[in-house]
Amino acid sequence: MTRYVLGRLGSVVLILLAVCLFTYLIFFKLSPDPAVMICGKTCTPDRINSIRDVLGLNQPILTQFWEFLRGIFAGRQYGSVHCPAPCLGYSFQTNESVWSMITARLPVSITVAVGAAVLWLLAGVIGGLVSAVKQGTWWDRTAMALALGGVSVPNYVLALLLQYVLVVKLQVLPFPSAVPFADNPVLWFESYLMTWVVLAVGYACLYARLTRSNVIDTLSENYFRTARAKGLSGSLIMRRHALRPALTPITTIFGMDFAGLLGGALITETVFGLNGIGKMAADSIAKNDQPVIMAVTLLAAFFVVIGNVVVDLLYTALDPRVRVVSS
Amino acid sequence: MSDLFVVDSLTVTLPTSRGPVDVVKDVSFTVGRDDTVGIVGESGSGKSMTALAVLGLLPRGAQTSGSVRLEGTELLGKSERELRAVRGNAISMVFQDPLSSLNPYYTVGLQISEMYQTHRGGSRRAAKHVAIEALERVGIPDPGRRVDHYPHQFSGGQRQRVMIAMALCCSPSLLIADEPTTALDVTVQAQILELLAELQSTTGTGMIFITHDLAVISSIAQRVLVMREGDPVEYGSAEQVFSDPRHEYTRMLLDAVPRIDDEVSA
Repeated sequence: MTRYVLGRLGSVVLILLAVCLFTYLIFFKLSPDPAVMICGKTCTPDRINSIRDVLGLNQPILTQFWEFLRGIFAGRQYGSVHCPAPCLGYSFQTNESVWSMITARLPVSITVAVGAAVLWLLAGVIGGLVSAVKQGTWWDRTAMALALGGVSVPNYVLALLLQYVLVVKLQVLPFPSAVPFADNPVLWFESYLMTWVVLAVGYACLYARLTRSNVIDTLSENYFRTARAKGLSGSLIMRRHALRPALTPITTIFGMDFAGLLGGALITETVFGLNGIGKMAADSIAKNDQPVIMAVTLLAAFFVVIGNVVVDLLYTALDPRVRVVSS
Repeated sequence: MSDLFVVDSLTVTLPTSRGPVDVVKDVSFTVGRDDTVGIVGESGSGKSMTALAVLGLLPRGAQTSGSVRLEGTELLGKSERELRAVRGNAISMVFQDPLSSLNPYYTVGLQISEMYQTHRGGSRRAAKHVAIEALERVGIPDPGRRVDHYPHQFSGGQRQRVMIAMALCCSPSLLIADEPTTALDVTVQAQILELLAELQSTTGTGMIFITHDLAVISSIAQRVLVMREGDPVEYGSAEQVFSDPRHEYTRMLLDAVPRIDDEVSA
């Protein structure tokens, strides 16, 4: 088991390194010269060249990449500007190190992701479960039709619709803003609520359909029939012999979806003006602030890779058949 | 021989898209203590439906009529709650494919002890002890260690032994074995049959043995019920049915059994 974990972590390092290199090559080779972007209106070729020197852009690409990697662990110097470790780059447009930009916004994205995840798991799994048990009834049909509709509505449409109805017309909710929890828990909850709902709807619908079909599959399994033939109580049969097998596969996709959201909900955060990683990504793309774009890409990749490993490790605990193969 | 278990004109009707269909028609037989009744027939003959009807495990919408009595108590029409107290306790069942019939997510020990605890109560520790004893009785080596293993860690024959251990852990008065050897190798089949016969002789459990395999039935059953498309075609002592089949269909089934002294036609 220990060997398996170490092996997985080793492969994580390799994958992240590959992602780093690939992202680096894409952004620093294919996009416009960052020195020109920084230089501004009163620009001369000499000035561009000196900026390129400061940024290290005149060095060979692999040396640049090496400097970038070294910066993550040892910090980096851009001319007179110091970027302390972990240095993921420095944004000359905002005059901030990318790392401090990320750490300032990550709590918002985490709040958004965690809240939405709780909502969609509860709604999706419970809805799907009830549908499966009441298979074929009007409840099931209505719920599944709604779920199909919910998956099809784009985030931003729902966001604008909710915002218009709840904030502008009915005025039951405040306009979303990243109120710290400690300042005012009620306002914190109210201002995040719409974001959570908007993000959760699509996932919840997907999870409801998935849970329903998984549970229905499990109900026709032979071991479910065995459990009934054993005379176990209804709740024990459902809990042990239907839910556990039906929900285990859902952890896989949940891990991936959640990890994906931690890298920022670009559209939703932008629509609601929440200053999270997603909005930072959108802003930096609009301004072509390359160090930030790259760091956001790396961050998203990092979360997905880590999420994948966590799911794999979790799976060895959840499914005994996987456990044996791995040990 | 007292009649432990009586099935009297049992009819099972299933709803289909083309209207209700009788899948079991007017079936009657009796099982005595220490007695084995074999039910034989091809797939779709209604063998398994008969067994499921006994335990009230028929698909939703199924209708039953007739009478099914265990030690004089009528089972048809009992509430789900009352039936639950019978299932696994007074009547237990062994299914065809032991791998898919055991839940892959739990140890065999838990799957045996959860049933024991449901019917007999007691502590988890005591139930686990019962599970270890049950595994030992069906010949699983090193049961104290194996009790914590998962179904996929056992061989096919061992899994069926686990199923049998589970079925017998509450000392039922009737055991229904639904094609228990069909998914197994021939040599393992013989071992399982031997085990069932041996356990039956020590516990006095009545047994309904469902199979499509006449060779298997002849070695284990005292009485045989032959079914075809839901109809009871022939019912009698094993000896009579095999040596002097009254019905055309039984004769056909017997002729279909390949014999080692048959001449191979080119």
